[in-house]
Amino acid sequence: MSELSLRQVSKSFGSLKVIKEVDLEIEKGAFTVFVGPSGCGKSTLLRMIAGLEDITSGDLDIGGARMNDTDPSKRGIAMVFQSYALYPHMTVRQNMGFALRFAGVPKAQIDRQVMDAARILELEPLLERKPGQLSGGQRQRVAIGRAIVRHPKVFLFDEPLSNLDAELRVHMRIEIAKLHKRLGATIIYVTHDQVEAMTLADKIVVLRAGRIEQTGTPLQLYTDPDNQFVAGFIGSPKMNFLPARVAEGGDGQGGAAVTLEDFGVTVPVAGLTGLPAPGTQITAGIRPEMFNEQASESISVAVEMVEHLGSETLVHGRGAGDLVTIKYPGISAKGDGSDRLDARFNPADLLYFTGEGARIR
Amino acid sequence: MDLLVQRLRVGLVYLFLITAAFLSIFPFLWMVLGATNTSADISRGKIGLGGALIANIASFLEFADVPLILWNSLKIALLTTLFTLAVASIAGYGFEIFRSRLRDRIYRFLLLTLMIPFAALMIPLFIMMGKLHLINTHWAVILPSIGSAFIIFYFRQSTKAFPFELRDAARVDGLKEWQIFLLIYVPVMRSTYAAAFVIVFMTAWNNYLWPLIVLQSNDTKTITLVVSSIASAYYPDYGAVMVSAILATLPTLIVFFLMQRQFVQGMLGSVK
Repeated sequence: MSELSLRQVSKSFGSLKVIKEVDLEIEKGAFTVFVGPSGCGKSTLLRMIAGLEDITSGDLDIGGARMNDTDPSKRGIAMVFQSYALYPHMTVRQNMGFALRFAGVPKAQIDRQVMDAARILELEPLLERKPGQLSGGQRQRVAIGRAIVRHPKVFLFDEPLSNLDAELRVHMRIEIAKLHKRLGATIIYVTHDQVEAMTLADKIVVLRAGRIEQTGTPLQLYTDPDNQFVAGFIGSPKMNFLPARVAEGGDGQGGAAVTLEDFGVTVPVAGLTGLPAPGTQITAGIRPEMFNEQASESISVAVEMVEHLGSETLVHGRGAGDLVTIKYPGISAKGDGSDRLDARFNPADLLYFTGEGARIR
Repeated sequence: MDLLVQRLRVGLVYLFLITAAFLSIFPFLWMVLGATNTSADISRGKIGLGGALIANIASFLEFADVPLILWNSLKIALLTTLFTLAVASIAGYGFEIFRSRLRDRIYRFLLLTLMIPFAALMIPLFIMMGKLHLINTHWAVILPSIGSAFIIFYFRQSTKAFPFELRDAARVDGLKEWQIFLLIYVPVMRSTYAAAFVIVFMTAWNNYLWPLIVLQSNDTKTITLVVSSIASAYYPDYGAVMVSAILATLPTLIVFFLMQRQFVQGMLGSVK
């Protein structure tokens, strides 16, 4: 059942349209991540759901009721902010109970709900402290606790980990994932970090310039992106894009071929019915981790730099054009001390995009 | 050699600081010592403790109803401060928070009013107060001071450091705008309020020219007017002038020292 739905939702600031006819269904209990580059409108969309920004047109339903004009406090949402937004003059206990106090909940019940949330997040020893006396991670937990206390239908997280250092971020990411499992809550989470998106999400919504580019599970987006933008955005290191030209059209079953222009290599293409006419300029995409020793085809790359990361080895090099990244698992001597490298791949691992960036299927 | 130059430099710095400190403190010292001397001794330039303190206090008490004038000053200063802080902080908050095309024009116009000298406003203000039948009342002193463009400017600049996500969090928590202002903004900005309190209280307490014009009867006068009238008597009793000056200075000193920490914090920026 859908807990939250957006139908043709748009937002304009004056003549500038920042969210463009967004349609989205979010299922009860799902962990949905909005991801996209800075300025893509993901935070604005979250704030529209929260009621902190007006919806210019379209409908927002939460729990089956239209919420466009409902006060933020009555939408059944709770929000965790990037800066945590804890009230600095109140103790942790007061911060967590503040919304309930305002909703007229009896004091005994507020105490009980605050204690329950504090227990879940191990905040009990900190309840009488003020936010200024807490570390970044503790503040983050209090901010989450403040949301939990309200028993909302939907939790909204606005880049909640971006103010933490790398180690704590990984730790809190796991905490949030565990919390989601434990509470079974519906969560909408905004981030620009695609690793966070991949690890946390049941469903990822990729946004660009106020539009949804693709919606799907992390692995769907990774293996089967709808367009070049999603293919490039999901995955790290990012997918290599190579200029290519259709060599032979074939009949959709076989016989088609594409030339990778930077390398002068022609590879067979199978199973694509949408391949344009021979001679058409297209783009071929291959993920750095798809290169492997046993594969059938190869490109010859002039090595420019090798990065040994221990768990993987990245070789950066190029043919006639842009830089290509090749990833080998573990410690590899590939590319070390040599000028050229034959990087092998299977033609089936190549994805093709039109000049406009749409996926060719 | 280097050590000598360094010592000389430190010595010069200290000499400068001692001179500056002396110049700042000397008038206070002279005021306190003067309060213990007779008018004749003060005129002669005596600097030292004398035995005329009681006589000077008696003479000052004879000249004016001291509790009443102190109460007048305190009432005017406190009410002016409270109203100014209320109006200026609401205005500063509003100017910073609400987007409107007119906002910056109104704000610029407001800042322009800082350039109008008070002397140019005196006569129109006097006529206004006359029409409102407020001449010779404390409201005539308080009302024109409330809309202070400078304090509005100060609050708006400080509000720029207010974390606006707190306002969003409060909205999600169910607070209306006036509740956000009272329950979140005011406590978070308390150092700004403290600094503004010190500035406005001191200005109101020391206000001289406008009260001189609108407060005409003795029972409405403030301490600054009384100090001035003792000093401008035909035979001024300088001992009594010194006693009155101490009384006039004391409350501002107390306010400053009580709020010194918050004042400095407020001037540096109140939100961390």
